[in-house]
Amino acid sequence: MDQACQVARKQDLPPPGGYKPIPYKRIPAKTLFSGYTMFAGYFGITAFAMYLYSLNYKQILRDQIEMRSARMAIYPMLLAERDRAFLKQLRKNRDAEAELMKDVPGWEVGTYYGEKVYKLLPPDTLVEPIFHEYYAHSRPWEWFQRAYLKLRS
Amino acid sequence: MVLTADVHLPEESELTVPELQLSSPALFAGSFHLGKYCEQANNEFMLCRLEENDPRKCLNEGKAVTACTMDFFRKVKKSCLQEFNQYANCIDKSSGDFSLKQCRTTQNVFDKCVLDKMNIERPGYGYFCEARVHDTKRPKPLEEPKAVYPDATPALPESVEKKPARFGSRFYWMTE
Repeated sequence: MDQACQVARKQDLPPPGGYKPIPYKRIPAKTLFSGYTMFAGYFGITAFAMYLYSLNYKQILRDQIEMRSARMAIYPMLLAERDRAFLKQLRKNRDAEAELMKDVPGWEVGTYYGEKVYKLLPPDTLVEPIFHEYYAHSRPWEWFQRAYLKLRS
Repeated sequence: MVLTADVHLPEESELTVPELQLSSPALFAGSFHLGKYCEQANNEFMLCRLEENDPRKCLNEGKAVTACTMDFFRKVKKSCLQEFNQYANCIDKSSGDFSLKQCRTTQNVFDKCVLDKMNIERPGYGYFCEARVHDTKRPKPLEEPKAVYPDATPALPESVEKKPARFGSRFYWMTE
């Protein structure tokens, strides 16, 4: 017990000359641009980007107009072809209906036992039949192909 | 069907003409020059089709359009086949919607060939979107006369007194 008490003790004290001062002062980041420069830069860059955007926008509009123009140039030919195919099919449909209903007494083609669908239209008016009537005498697969064209395109 | 026996439908033989056997890329490739070459026939047909609104009445104009188109593509085949095929191939394979903007190089080659050999200049990009005036010899279809109903409510006579509006306005809820 005695021996333990005789060890020389050294008290923990500040270094000679005292502690260094604590660095508590704020160190602000280096300012590269002033506020005004940043505002000016923002507006400048935005204006330039808008200019580039407008160029691009005009180009896209031009391309769209060009495609529309190309479609309109070939449209008359496609429409003429379509009209002929359509009229051919209408005639086929009417003949098919006459053939199908020839044994039914009192049946008139295009009417319900002589009762017209459109009573007030002038005679010889071409009423375009609805889709299901147009495909009524075709094969079911052909009807399906046209009705669900979206599935294939 | 809605078509009765007394509706005139043309015979199949009247409707059978040689049709074009071309796919979309080829049609798009030739579209601008085709539109310029067949401008007269196309305008005639479209005017007829929109005025009459009946495909039966414009069959001859339609046949003229198809014949003109056939003629154009035959001429292209004779004079610029290789350039045309190159351009159509580019249109077919460069995009999913046959857009023309991907194929300017081949287009220039084709345009030059058509200009040199067929003397058709490619019109501007919006040429066929512009409104146009077409002079035709076909008589204008008669307008549908205004319907007259015998049991219609008679209008007020001209001599009736018309008082000013009481509330300063005659909007639809102010019936006075």
